[in-house]
Amino acid sequence: MAKPAVFLIGADKGGVGKTTVARTLLDYFGAHQTAVRAFDTESPRGTLKRFHPDVTEVVDVTQVADQMKIFDTLGSADAKVTVIDVRAGLLSSTLRALTDIGFIDSAKKGQITFAVFHILGPSIASLQEIAETADIVGDASYFLVKNFINNATFFEWDPATYNSYFRKIRGAMELGVPKLNELACEQVEVASVPFVNFIGNKNGAGDAANYSFVLRGYVRHWLGNVWNEYDRVKLMDLVAAKQENTARQAAG
Amino acid sequence: MSLRSSVLIVASPRPRVGKTLLARLLVDFQIYNDREVAAFDLNARGGALAQFLPRHAALADIVDVKGQMALFDRLVADDGVAKVVDVGHEAFESFVTVASKIGFAEEARRRRLAPAVLFMTTPDFTSVESYKALAARMPQVTPVPVHNAILGNAQYRDKYPPGGPGSALVQLPILAPALRKFSDRPPFSFAQAPTTAALDIPLEKHLELTHWVRRVFLELREMELRLLLADLQSSLEIRS
Repeated sequence: MAKPAVFLIGADKGGVGKTTVARTLLDYFGAHQTAVRAFDTESPRGTLKRFHPDVTEVVDVTQVADQMKIFDTLGSADAKVTVIDVRAGLLSSTLRALTDIGFIDSAKKGQITFAVFHILGPSIASLQEIAETADIVGDASYFLVKNFINNATFFEWDPATYNSYFRKIRGAMELGVPKLNELACEQVEVASVPFVNFIGNKNGAGDAANYSFVLRGYVRHWLGNVWNEYDRVKLMDLVAAKQENTARQAAG
Repeated sequence: MSLRSSVLIVASPRPRVGKTLLARLLVDFQIYNDREVAAFDLNARGGALAQFLPRHAALADIVDVKGQMALFDRLVADDGVAKVVDVGHEAFESFVTVASKIGFAEEARRRRLAPAVLFMTTPDFTSVESYKALAARMPQVTPVPVHNAILGNAQYRDKYPPGGPGSALVQLPILAPALRKFSDRPPFSFAQAPTTAALDIPLEKHLELTHWVRRVFLELREMELRLLLADLQSSLEIRS
């Protein structure tokens, strides 16, 4: 049986596209017929919940009661995949809280699949977060997500700067999220539906909608590229990882 | 499905090969057959199509997304109106790029429309390669090579093989210069030529022009039937 998998999507900087990436992940798992649940820590508003109301719950990840709601139910929930969209500024503190409750240790022992999607903006301040987070994530699958919200190069033109940040964590994998056309992005915002619904010209209730074919085409093309990245890093293999035998867990 | 719900794209990466003339003929062919038609002029220095067909043709521009929405959302609308697009040589590459990126042909097929690219054949390398690449870039579009006889004998015909079922070379016969002086003057309509004698055209010229239009319309009729037959065959194959 596949072990529970937790995907933590976060950044300490705001406006770098955390929720957008979380939405693409929910759509990706949905497309792979993988049951998924999501927690939106943007309490009390909840942007992720607006797009995926059926699977998303708004929580305050700094509160013990809500931490219990997420982590105590990992083994018992129908959905084996949990996506947590961490509010801006809370990534480091959430990771510390996970260490405190022994979650990081459980992941180290192979009882839980744990992946961190660290969403980076095109600024040095955003890149500096990598060092701060790196110490805490431990053995988790660590994805450095370059979200091209504009035409930034993430300092690729300057190998010294680039390597000093992106090569800091051994085993970290880079993911690129291309830029989505602004008009298409705004149209999906207005529609408040998952990307796959928008592409399929469906509203939130699943009924036929009337979105622009051109914008749907742009979103389909963009989402295809994002999913190609997820395929490249073999995300589904990560989710399908089986629980290691209990003896080995005990030994750990 | 009939050509009523077709989307006909007249294209070539080369200038002055007869694209607008063919676009006018396609629109007038629809009008002649009492069909509703809408035409879009994607020429940088557009307006020629609209000058001849003010009630049916509009200027289009796909440089930005708003322009792309105005054109492509209309092209895939299943409204029973035949669509003709005159893609100027400057817009050819961006048209194919955008169409392929947004999945235009796939969406058109899904909506039971029949997209076809009427490609003006010329011997140059760019055109030959562009025609070849169409199959890969827009596989759900039927490429129809068109030979404009005024460009000379088609010794290069083998470089433009028909692209799948329903595709065969369409011949556009030479329109004599003596006739062009009438047909190139707005508001001349090919749709009216076979039935109405214009006052300013001498009778013998009118008869010659009528004969030419009938030849072209016969070519277009046959093309329409080939596309229709190919579509029927493919839908029968899907059912069986």
